[in-house]
Amino acid sequence: MTKHAPSRRLRRAATRLSSVVMLFYFSAFVLLGLKDYAWQAFALALAVPAMIWLGTNFLPRLFPADTLLLSLTNFLCALGVLVLYDTNPVYAYHQAAYYAVSLLAMICCVWAVRAVRHWGAAAWVLIPVSLALLAVPLIWGKETYGATNWIYIGSVSVQPSELVKVSLILIVSYFMSRRRFLPWLLFAVACLGALMLQRDLGTALLYYGVTLLLFFASSGNVPLTGLGVLGGAGAAVLGYRMFAHVKKRVAIWRNPWADYENAGFQIVQSLMALASGGLIGMGLGLGSPRTIPVYHTDFIFAVICEQFGLIFGLCVLAMYLAILWRGATIAMAARHAFHGLVAMGATLMIGLQTFVIIGGVIKLIPLTGVTMPFVSYGGSSLLSSLVLIGLIQGVASLNEDDLHEDMLLATGGEEEGV
Amino acid sequence: MKRQRLHFKLLFLLMAGLFALLAAYGAYSVLTYGNRWFASNRNPRVRAQKESVIAGDILDRQGTVLATTAADGTRTYQAREAARRAVVHMVGDPQGQVSTGVETFQTSYLYGFRASFTELVRALTSGEARRGDNVTLTADSRLCTAIVSSFDGHSASYCKRGAAVVLNYRTGEVLAEVSLPNFDPAHISETLKDDAGRPFWNRVTQSIYPPGSTFKTVTEAAALRSLEDIGSFSYDCAETPLTVGTHEISDYGGGSHGTLDLSTAFARSCNKAFAELALRLGQRRLLQTAEEAGFNDNFLFRDLVVENSRFPLTAADDWELAASGFGQSSVAASPLHMCMIAGAVANDGVMMEPRLLRQVTSPAGRVRLAFTSQVYRRAFTPEVAERLRGDMRLVVTGGTGRAAAVNGVTVCGKTGTADSTEDGKPISYGWFIGFAQDDDLPFACAVLVEDIGEKTSGGAAAAPIAADIFLWLRQHQREIVDAPAQP
Repeated sequence: MTKHAPSRRLRRAATRLSSVVMLFYFSAFVLLGLKDYAWQAFALALAVPAMIWLGTNFLPRLFPADTLLLSLTNFLCALGVLVLYDTNPVYAYHQAAYYAVSLLAMICCVWAVRAVRHWGAAAWVLIPVSLALLAVPLIWGKETYGATNWIYIGSVSVQPSELVKVSLILIVSYFMSRRRFLPWLLFAVACLGALMLQRDLGTALLYYGVTLLLFFASSGNVPLTGLGVLGGAGAAVLGYRMFAHVKKRVAIWRNPWADYENAGFQIVQSLMALASGGLIGMGLGLGSPRTIPVYHTDFIFAVICEQFGLIFGLCVLAMYLAILWRGATIAMAARHAFHGLVAMGATLMIGLQTFVIIGGVIKLIPLTGVTMPFVSYGGSSLLSSLVLIGLIQGVASLNEDDLHEDMLLATGGEEEGV
Repeated sequence: MKRQRLHFKLLFLLMAGLFALLAAYGAYSVLTYGNRWFASNRNPRVRAQKESVIAGDILDRQGTVLATTAADGTRTYQAREAARRAVVHMVGDPQGQVSTGVETFQTSYLYGFRASFTELVRALTSGEARRGDNVTLTADSRLCTAIVSSFDGHSASYCKRGAAVVLNYRTGEVLAEVSLPNFDPAHISETLKDDAGRPFWNRVTQSIYPPGSTFKTVTEAAALRSLEDIGSFSYDCAETPLTVGTHEISDYGGGSHGTLDLSTAFARSCNKAFAELALRLGQRRLLQTAEEAGFNDNFLFRDLVVENSRFPLTAADDWELAASGFGQSSVAASPLHMCMIAGAVANDGVMMEPRLLRQVTSPAGRVRLAFTSQVYRRAFTPEVAERLRGDMRLVVTGGTGRAAAVNGVTVCGKTGTADSTEDGKPISYGWFIGFAQDDDLPFACAVLVEDIGEKTSGGAAAAPIAADIFLWLRQHQREIVDAPAQP
């Protein structure tokens, strides 16, 4: 019983949090609506809080979910819609639709984690499908920002590497939990190779980092992990030597002001936005966030800081960290090695991706073009982020089931004794 | 499973560490560099604000309006062209061509970005156009004009490009900042942008030059601090050049100084003696003293954007080390920094942070920022500073800097003649750094004259301008020193 007390407290905190969050978004969209009396803003003022309410109050009835994790992800997804509405309303409408679809995908994912019994078979199916998906852009892809990582089907564009993230975690976790070294290693190497050929180095970095950290988690083999880190560093140096655009990115990172009108323009504009926001921000709807290049995807954190200020930006970071904390806690509570690895893998993927993009935006590390999970504009990105959360929630629900069973057994035992 | 749980915990802690790094770096960089990133005329938010806010006035310490906004919204400067030109690098221009002028760097005040919430509401409800804050500088525009005429007065051909800066060495207030050639902010012609003389460049803060013999103050400080037998130092300066490695070191004008002790070597600026001192000190100890004087530091002053000064981190050979000892090799500093060094000598070794803002007031007259002086660093010990003061006095009374002497002012200083190359051609810079060792006249100055030719020295080119500065300071002493605060 004592084990349940903190989770109940968390649930209460989550409900309270989501009320505040709903109020925040309601007032924010109304405020933006009053600027030019656009009915869409008022519609969103009702729709976004409604979606948050559904997300935090309705979903836990379908399966035993971690409500705090749900509230946090909902907050971040809605923050994306809000900031996008402020910069470019059309993106916000799309994003709201993606959000709804992705929530459904998340529920499906939870259901899949609960329902699938034969993960071995699933893994062997996922391997060829994933590799095929990664190969498609190489054949029919179009280059954007120095990388060829999109598939275009009519007017719809999909980034397969976002979707393969999920199967990477499942496949790697499955074989690691079975202590079968070769399949996951070969699969990870094949994925990395494909990403290198697409020149999507940011995503390759994420795949590599998550696989390596999962290997450490499952095996605890420090020498081999260290070797992996060294190998990664060597690959980074090699990449720096080989690819001109990597060299350029590093040069920009070291001194963006040297060529602020061309190469350094993005990061200089980002830093100006951060500085203009100051501690408390220029205010929602004020400032010039649209002058930041790719404000809707890579640099959305700069937009958030410009509008709401550094303190709010740090709070957003804290929310990501809280998500990671929930994810790690759920992974630690898992009964099976596989489930633990899946939840931890998803957590690490979200964490590393957030670190890589925010670090790039604030010039801590060279910029690599990955999206900010939950917040950045884009269907593929939002979908994969929420599906990753779906994996974590699925494991959380299994944990709850296990706990419930234990309790029944314990009380049942007592009754028998009496 | 149990071990896996432990590993999960470790990985979470790793992620938490990475996020802490993000938060710390983000907060640090925005708090440290925020205004430098923000106050750029490339910042579209500033351009947008200029459409809706009337910029505040810029005044000098006597209340003279240096820049104001006319009724029709255009930015206007002083009526007299000479006065406009003299302060242009300090004040800035409407286009932001001088990228570090007050007009640009103090954007957050001038265009009302620091307005409080209540002020914003009041401005919104009153219906009047919003006004930015008024900025009063520590500088005296009359002195800037006087310095320009002093450059003009020494009508030698080389007095066309140069820089001069005057600081109150007790408080750090910048009293004058002049860079030549200058331009008229009221009529910025397109041709100026391609001018070889770079008129938009603020040579006081943005250019770093080899300090030449003025750097001997730092070398002597290092020697006084680290060499135990410095009291008995004597150097026999012969006719023949000193050979270090494959290079020869000779003195300005050639010839011999005879037998010198430390003070006379300094006063007569003997390169060979200071090469000898640098070799005895070694790279490590010379670098240490140079860094204590602010070389290689990242200058992040609140009111001024200053190019960092450089002292080589390693010496490739003895020649490079010896050359560093008299401010050549790759040693480089801005005139402002050399002025701060002279000021530190005068101020018992304490270097004050240079400041340009005396006061900022809101349109309603509320004081938003009032001047406070702050120590930048302790450059020298009081004993070393005292010895340096004596030797720098000797430079003016009986050494290379006699042209800086002024009746009624205890001028101390150091001359310098530095050689360098510009666009592949050799070029000489004439320097004078110095200060008045008078309680009622706590001012230090640095004068730099570019391209003085081979026949002239810093003592001949720059020291007379410094003399004019000290004379002006003496004549206007009552107006430029604040009465000490009542206890």
